[in-house]
Amino acid sequence: MSTEMAAVRHATACGARRGRVEFANSVRAGSDFAYYVIVSVIFLTVLFLARNETVEGTDVSVATFMLPGLIALQVVVAGAYGIATVLVTEREDGTLLRLKSVPYGMVGYVSGQLVRVVLEIFFSMALVLIPAAFFVPGLLADGPGALAGAAGYLVLGLLAVIPLGFVIGSVFRNPRSVGGWGLLVITAIVWVSGIFSPLASMATWMQIVGQFTPTYWLGLGLRSALLPDSAVLVEIDGSWRTLLTIVVLAGWAVAGFLLAPPLLRRMARRESGSGVAARREKALQRV
Amino acid sequence: MSSHTLEQTTAVQVTDLRMRYGSNDVLHGVNFTIRRGEVLVLLGPNGAGKTTTIEILEGFRRPSDGQVTVLGVDPVTADEHWRARIGVVLQSWRDHGRWRVRELLDHLGSFYEPYSEPGRQRPYPTDELIETVGLTEHRKKKVSMLSGGQRRRLDVAIGIVGRPELLFLDEPTAGFDPAARRDFHDLVHRLSDLQDTTILLTTHDLDEAEKLADRILILNHGRIVADGSAEELAHQVVGSAEVRWTQGGVRQVHSTTDPTDFVRELFAQESAAGAIADLAVQQPSLESTYLTMVAQQEVSS
Repeated sequence: MSTEMAAVRHATACGARRGRVEFANSVRAGSDFAYYVIVSVIFLTVLFLARNETVEGTDVSVATFMLPGLIALQVVVAGAYGIATVLVTEREDGTLLRLKSVPYGMVGYVSGQLVRVVLEIFFSMALVLIPAAFFVPGLLADGPGALAGAAGYLVLGLLAVIPLGFVIGSVFRNPRSVGGWGLLVITAIVWVSGIFSPLASMATWMQIVGQFTPTYWLGLGLRSALLPDSAVLVEIDGSWRTLLTIVVLAGWAVAGFLLAPPLLRRMARRESGSGVAARREKALQRV
Repeated sequence: MSSHTLEQTTAVQVTDLRMRYGSNDVLHGVNFTIRRGEVLVLLGPNGAGKTTTIEILEGFRRPSDGQVTVLGVDPVTADEHWRARIGVVLQSWRDHGRWRVRELLDHLGSFYEPYSEPGRQRPYPTDELIETVGLTEHRKKKVSMLSGGQRRRLDVAIGIVGRPELLFLDEPTAGFDPAARRDFHDLVHRLSDLQDTTILLTTHDLDEAEKLADRILILNHGRIVADGSAEELAHQVVGSAEVRWTQGGVRQVHSTTDPTDFVRELFAQESAAGAIADLAVQQPSLESTYLTMVAQQEVSS
């Protein structure tokens, strides 16, 4: 079966190239580029206005507190919501069927999405982090050790949300419903994930809901790596809860990695030319 | 005949193929074979089961019952090596709109690299293929900027980029203008002759079927109702040719199953009956065959 493994590896490599092309096409496309820029400008404006305020009871700048949460939000939006909407849209428009008709095309498709979304996340993170480094106080105060810790949480966060995106995208069928409902869910997540002010200071029910989201835990992990130790006081239980952070994010990752492959296979099996044609008819009827 | 030689001469073997959606039977025991190198055209009215049949052969749909062998393998259990040997021309809509023509063809071709066989280099060299389908001057264009006809040519190019032994085309020329249609017919002939590709295509265009097909199957209400070359079908179904002539200033029409013999008789009696002019023998067209066939089915069903 080693030739089979080689064939899968080959398709994965084709997919990696696919991901790079799709990312480059996205950056070149005016509408996508405008989206990246507008989101970064909003984030940077919020951070800039908050740079001189401190989180109550600490000497930590609100901007410094918020930045890790915003990064976590970017990861979750691009990873889960981004992959889910792309998957549903590309099922409707026939991209998936196109890949299904070439050998190990679905392997290439999935590896392409992985590469695309990782490049996209790094790109949009850089658009925020590089300008923020000039005015957010104490961001790099702890040196390279802090950055290594943050990178570790980032990898764990990606592993948690990307399979989740594939799961959501393979279960739903209509791109417009994923777009609409997804946006509502994201708004809710922003609300309960303790991005703009500490979750510990919010209502109990929000704390409970918030602690189910990977956004909160990724934000917490990134804060534990990047913020000074004095900032821990504003967190729930006055603790970074490092072990629990790793367990929860790893739990999301394991659940996603167990669910995504069978759901993706089921989704791919159902694709056919007449299926795509029927969806095309339906989409064109909606005016 | 051993199974090995059978696989060498037969590309597709379908026995008692049935397809049922809920309580609705779409295919009622379809039987046919496609020989290697043959161009087979599947004709039939809308809803006859053409697309279902082709999707079962492509491995995109699991049949309810019956035996299907495509290139020696059951498509339901076929692996990706089998997938590399067949080509599917899909009707594109707006997939890969941001990709450039050459970039997309090169990318999809790259998946076939591990599957070259003696005498069949996979994939097709990208630039050569772009030339073959006449898209050279558009190779750097975005796919979303192509016209409908150019896009269909790209669809064909993607379908054959892996140099398939067997190619499926479901209504490939829908929406083509006459020039694009003729170019496409040339391409199919070339594929069939030079690349030794077995081709199965469905169409509504009877003229196209007559031009391309080595053999025609007519599918109606989920059953094969005719199987043969265009001439054979005409003979089987309509049976008679029409002979027209003018004699003594009077126009005459006669239907006959043996026009050659009839015309011989006609000239034998010319001296007695008067000079013959404007003689024309019209063989039944595929169109009249097809319409007769489908009409007979409507009456009997």
